[in-house]
Amino acid sequence: MDMSETSQDGAMEVLTFDLRDETFALEAILVREVMDCATETSVPGAAPFVNAVINFRGRVIPLVDLRLAFGLERADNTIDSRIVVIEHPLDGEPTLIGLRADKVHEVTSILRADTEDAPRVGLRWRSDFIRCLARRKGDVIVVPDLDQIFATRGGASGAVVHLS
Amino acid sequence: MSGSDPAEIFRQEAQDLLEQIEQGLLDMSNRPGDRELVDSVFRGLHTLKGSGAMFGFDALAAFTHHCETAFDRVRKGEVAATPALVSAVLAAQDHMRALAEGREAPQSVGDALLADLRLAVEAAGDAGAPEAPTPELTTFIIRFSLPADALVNGTRPLPLLDELRELGECAVRAITDQVPLLEALNPVECHLAWEVVLTTSQPKSAIEDVFIFVIDDMKLEIEVQTPDVVASSPSIDQPQAHPLAANEAAPAEAKAARAGDTLRVPAERLDELMDRVGELVIAQSRLEQVAASSADPHLRAVSEEIERLAGELRDTMMVVRMVPISQLFGRFRRLIHDLARDTGKLIDFSTEGETTELDKTVIERLADPLVHLIRNAADHGLEPSEARLASGKAPTGKITLGARQSGAEVIVTITDDGRGVDRARVRAKAEEAGLVAAGATISDDELLQFIFHPGFSTAQAVTSLSGRGVGMDVVKRTIENLRGSIKMTSRPGEGSQIALRIPLTLAIIDGLLVRVGEARYVIPLPAVEECVELSPEQDLRSTGRSFITLRDQLVPFIRLRELFATGQAREAHQKVVVVSTGEDRVGLVVDQILGDHQTVIKALSGFHADVETFSGATILGDGGVALILDIAHLVAAGQRQDAQLRAAG
Amino acid sequence: MASILTVDDSASIRMTIKIALANEGYNVVEAGDGAEGLAKAADGGFSLIITDLNMPVMDGLTMIRNLRAKPGNSGVPILFLTTESDVEIKAQAKAAGATGWLTKPFIPEQLVRVVKKVLAS
Repeated sequence: MDMSETSQDGAMEVLTFDLRDETFALEAILVREVMDCATETSVPGAAPFVNAVINFRGRVIPLVDLRLAFGLERADNTIDSRIVVIEHPLDGEPTLIGLRADKVHEVTSILRADTEDAPRVGLRWRSDFIRCLARRKGDVIVVPDLDQIFATRGGASGAVVHLS
Repeated sequence: MSGSDPAEIFRQEAQDLLEQIEQGLLDMSNRPGDRELVDSVFRGLHTLKGSGAMFGFDALAAFTHHCETAFDRVRKGEVAATPALVSAVLAAQDHMRALAEGREAPQSVGDALLADLRLAVEAAGDAGAPEAPTPELTTFIIRFSLPADALVNGTRPLPLLDELRELGECAVRAITDQVPLLEALNPVECHLAWEVVLTTSQPKSAIEDVFIFVIDDMKLEIEVQTPDVVASSPSIDQPQAHPLAANEAAPAEAKAARAGDTLRVPAERLDELMDRVGELVIAQSRLEQVAASSADPHLRAVSEEIERLAGELRDTMMVVRMVPISQLFGRFRRLIHDLARDTGKLIDFSTEGETTELDKTVIERLADPLVHLIRNAADHGLEPSEARLASGKAPTGKITLGARQSGAEVIVTITDDGRGVDRARVRAKAEEAGLVAAGATISDDELLQFIFHPGFSTAQAVTSLSGRGVGMDVVKRTIENLRGSIKMTSRPGEGSQIALRIPLTLAIIDGLLVRVGEARYVIPLPAVEECVELSPEQDLRSTGRSFITLRDQLVPFIRLRELFATGQAREAHQKVVVVSTGEDRVGLVVDQILGDHQTVIKALSGFHADVETFSGATILGDGGVALILDIAHLVAAGQRQDAQLRAAG
Repeated sequence: MASILTVDDSASIRMTIKIALANEGYNVVEAGDGAEGLAKAADGGFSLIITDLNMPVMDGLTMIRNLRAKPGNSGVPILFLTTESDVEIKAQAKAAGATGWLTKPFIPEQLVRVVKKVLAS
């Protein structure tokens, strides 16, 4: 299991957030900013997984909906909705990417001891989209494998629609 | 002395010299007897050696010295410039370059290169020295006198006369008319004049060179003696207009002016400047918004002024960054030379449209893709000479590199007259790769586009030159990252052409802002031909037809709200923006035209690189995002739509 | 054997000149700035003076003017080194009393050619 950002005592600093009813965690080191929702500009013809862009500090960045990668229903933005802007490699290039989040919690530590690999079968999600699972206070937190999710453009639902 | 690093200055100079030498050598392959080329190459080697020695690049100087010596023999007519000799010196170029840049350049490599060179020279000597052309002799009558203070300031007449004698046979006569009588004579003043009759093969400029230090202050007349002119003993004229002296000064001044006009600027500084200008454009856009909603006329006036200035600044920046593509094309001549040698094929390389200009960064990024495409054409496109002869073609294959501007784009083409694309093989490979179902009908264009798929290669033999075809998809991606497009056309047995379309500017464009539904889009202004209203009747009438009549011409049109699936009701008064790629047109139907807008282009991320409808995005004055429409793609879509409807009858 | 004075604040330029001209049989003396050059040349004795223009303590133009003012150096060829083909500089230097020039960077062969141009062989 790859815990690349683990510190000496085997802990990983993460930002936790909700997508629908599920809690996810991202390595804090990736996060550039947590924004209130911004005006979105839809990109006709783009995959539903990443069908909009936003203005982030003068740059135009893609807005990714991880819910689609995990088969979760989309929903309209609420007062708790946020956009988590991360910097992550895409096709080898460091790229600023905005992630939709229904609710953002906190920056916290996950201990290596509290994590386990995702089971190959029996899980409702693609196991290759999950880096590992963490247990905390009885809840399961999903640490997604962003490399895999981005490379496959969120999976089957991420196919590009040709307009003409 | 200035503070800049002398080694760096030398390196830059060495680069220029090596390029000059290389070009000269390549030209010599075509014109081996051309004396000017030989001189140019020799001078380059000579200067490189000298400057190298002066700045401590001893290994380079020593190595170059041998090349220079070899070339001196060519220059003197002792040996001919055989292709082997030219190749040997070309091969030595890379070693020289490595030495100049301080990279690894092992002695053994250098020695081997020099050994080759020596062999080539010996062989060339055996081949017999070329006929030295009999020099043309001209006889000049030169009359000159020096200013009175010439001697005091160190000018010596005797060395001048000696120099003239070196040019050829001289008859010298001193003219003493102006020498005052002894009582009045000041021995340090010069009152002598001379008349020299010189017969030489050198041009008049060689004579003027002799007097270069004093030409501004002296009287100098040079006459060409024709057989009719009787050589008399004239007196020296009084000082009047001296066209010769004036002519000498003018070119010198012109040259000085030209030399002072150019400046080396690191490319990064230009990029920084470009970024600042880009930010200025955005800020000015915001100012415009504020001013528009303000009642203050002064604010409006200032805003307009700033808009004008920002526009001019941007236009100047655009021009500063534009360089002719010839700079890129020049590099490829060496490539073709090496390719011809490595493949054993005869290749004729020509270029067109070298003066076409492109943004400097775009040119840099085009280099690798073009190298790959040229390699491909030479390796896979062109057949070997025997095969060409067998099919009735000339044995020498042609590869042409062309560039031309069209609308808001530059089109770069690589054309070969080789065997063309084997459709059957491409089809088979595509079916094998699962890109198309067996028996499915696809257009020829679509078939050819498969060539740009990753891992696709129909090459029978994978050669070390062009590899496994991993290149074509990378080439396509590189071009798309420049917001351009790539297309291949081909006629079996006749040849192929790859056309790259690159938008003219990388960073800032003039755009037409339009609204479709609730979203705003930008149409590059250079592509816009005109805007017309679509009356409700026309709108209804053209339902199901998708073309409108514009001054008796049928123009296909695309309703953007349908294309973008806005899902909203049609508005009453639609507008049509007619855009073109220079060849084809399409009308884009929008809800509202919002006006001109100067915008800084932001590239879309990798997630949206394959959405062909848009070539980028921009941030508007109010912070909102507008996507920039890719006109080439929309025009093509319009053409396709048109063709389908015609086919449907 | 003719003596040549080279005046330049760059040691490598002085060395280049010295080596090139020594090969031709000249005796070369060095000075590091205009003042030193003036001191060494004041009483004559040099067949040729080659000087840079931008130097500390005393620049080339001033040195040339001072040299010409002294009787011992009347008629001695003075060459100046210039980096640009600047018409103004040349005019100024000529007005100060220089005989000719050589543009930097130069290769030793060019230097020798110019020296031979101004010195009777």
